[in-house]
Amino acid sequence: MDGAFRKINIDLLEEDVLLPSDLYDPDPRGVEGVLADAKNRSGEVRGLVSKGDIASALNVILTDCPYGEDVDEAKDITTSALLLILNSTRSTDISNLVKGLSGDHQDRLMAYLYKGMANLGEKSEISGSVLLSWHEKLTEVAGVGCIVRVMTDRRIV
Amino acid sequence: MIPIASSSRVYTSAQSNTLRPYLNAVRSTLTAALTLENFSSQVVERHNYPEVEAGNSQETLLQPLLISRNESERVLIEPSINSIRLSICIKQADEIERILCKKFTRFMTMRAEGFVILRRKAIPGYDISFLITNFHSETMLKHKLVDFIIQFMEDVDKEISEMKLSLNARARIVAESYLVTVSQVFHNPSNHTSSVVRKTDLEHER
Repeated sequence: MDGAFRKINIDLLEEDVLLPSDLYDPDPRGVEGVLADAKNRSGEVRGLVSKGDIASALNVILTDCPYGEDVDEAKDITTSALLLILNSTRSTDISNLVKGLSGDHQDRLMAYLYKGMANLGEKSEISGSVLLSWHEKLTEVAGVGCIVRVMTDRRIV
Repeated sequence: MIPIASSSRVYTSAQSNTLRPYLNAVRSTLTAALTLENFSSQVVERHNYPEVEAGNSQETLLQPLLISRNESERVLIEPSINSIRLSICIKQADEIERILCKKFTRFMTMRAEGFVILRRKAIPGYDISFLITNFHSETMLKHKLVDFIIQFMEDVDKEISEMKLSLNARARIVAESYLVTVSQVFHNPSNHTSSVVRKTDLEHER
């Protein structure tokens, strides 16, 4: 006798099944809006970095980050712009930069640091030691709570 | 909120420059993840599963965090409401280290019962996994658990490089003493050792 029907997860067929998209509010800008915004911000960041204004570049990129599903391109653009900022900062400036960020921005930055570490590999644009030193300085300023907020945030960057 | 700087063990600059931030990052992330509470299964009545293992409900799982020093050394922390899973990828530079690491982790995981928080099988892509549930964090001191994991990470690297050194030293001694005997056979056939070797060789052939 065929027992394959026993393997069906019937909880997924119920009406009150919980989907990943139920856990957070979708971005009001829509997919195209997010992508256009990410491109604008990325361009702005490159300009600011070449001028050496790292603090405002961080503020620009950490505002309204793309999150959720279907916005992978916007996420990639934002991540590489952020990694550019991290790479072009001197290690002595990190503490002051992190102190100047608002609480929300600190949490976002932490999320991107973890994302950067997860994507370390052959084609990554950043070395692990840079990310780790940023992580260390950020944890000194924002504390463990910042990491907890990254863990519990359903709006994955 | 306790600042990291005042925690019981902070790594000094005496350690290598990238190991210290790596271990500090693992320490702070693990401390953040170890906020566990008792949570019964939402699927089966009167059962209590580690949610990170069961994976039955989305809402009890939190975002997994990966801390990596380079491509080969990384730690994955998967938090959930009542349990966390921490997997370590140990540095393996060459074939000898790979074998030593495999033997070492196998030795540990076969005795997982004695280590309480050790998972019996590492998750794919990692060398060793720990599973900490709320019952562990209730019966044991949280900061001691964190200290234990960090200590383990420090020691395992040290242990493997020490084993590699002693293995190489031993191999050198064995090779030298063997080759000395062999060269004596060729250079001086009337030597006593060579006659012993010949005799045993003949016996072997018979």
